[in-house]
Amino acid sequence: MTTLRATIVGAGGLGGPIAISLGAAGVELTIADHDHVELSNLHRQIQFTSMDLDQPKAARLADVVVAQGGAARGLAARWSADTADQLGAGADVVIDASDDPITKFAVADWAVANGRCYVIAAALRYGGNVMAGAPGVGCYRCLFEEPIDAPTCADAGVLGPTVAAIGGVAAAVALALARGDRTLIGALFVFEDLRRTADPRVVRFAPRPGCPACARAPSLPVVPHLAEVR
Amino acid sequence: MPTIRVPSALRSFTGGASDVEVAATTVRDALTELDRRHPGIVARILDGGNVKPFIRIFVGPDDIGGLSGLDTKLAERDEVAIVPAIAGGRAEVSDA
Repeated sequence: MTTLRATIVGAGGLGGPIAISLGAAGVELTIADHDHVELSNLHRQIQFTSMDLDQPKAARLADVVVAQGGAARGLAARWSADTADQLGAGADVVIDASDDPITKFAVADWAVANGRCYVIAAALRYGGNVMAGAPGVGCYRCLFEEPIDAPTCADAGVLGPTVAAIGGVAAAVALALARGDRTLIGALFVFEDLRRTADPRVVRFAPRPGCPACARAPSLPVVPHLAEVR
Repeated sequence: MPTIRVPSALRSFTGGASDVEVAATTVRDALTELDRRHPGIVARILDGGNVKPFIRIFVGPDDIGGLSGLDTKLAERDEVAIVPAIAGGRAEVSDA
């Protein structure tokens, strides 16, 4: 059986449930986060305890995954042009679980340019978005163009359980993509308010003509169906 | 009437309302009516008459970019979703 590999960018509120669930599913993980655990993180980054304060998030999250029988390595690193090739190497799917709009675009752009599947997860207040991306369909930059003035949690905040819920969805989508399931590709799951309903609005979008990220994509779609890789 | 789904980031304009029914036959008319009732909100969605680059508008499951843009026709029961790019995870809210 083929071992699936994923890179998770961000070891916080979204990255925690993503890593733990994918690790328990047998996916080998690379977890990247340059940050350290702070007391203010604990209400929503429930993979950490007060014993983890001041420890590097990526390493501690990897420890949690390994303690539950998974395989993971944690790297104290930011996703950037300098680190992307190293962090994304070998990944069947790259998952953005950061809280930074610029990083989300950088992860998506790299995945498109390198023919990888990717998931972009974001949470805000009581809802969030999860996008399932892959070569050959509209990309994250087709969807939102550029990271300017995007609302962030610094503007509006996020409820702790929201990130766990959105992270769980992102993990499920990532696992499907890594296994070669094409049915979700190009879909954006929009959870408007989890206090009211857990049913997402599922929307799709066309590639944007002139998208600079798509222009750097390999000429052929690289996402094989499961049946083609096993 | 068509319903506009207001994203959480813009609900400060609508007094917290997530859904706003509007009497409109196109997306453009719907946004005009939305702004008439909640002044200032459309300035956060449109720039120079175009949808801002980090916002997409969907009618049902369909991106208006693949339809007729702001001139996309609306039916009586259509839902217009305004979907902004968001980032998340840093802060918390204290009202829930």
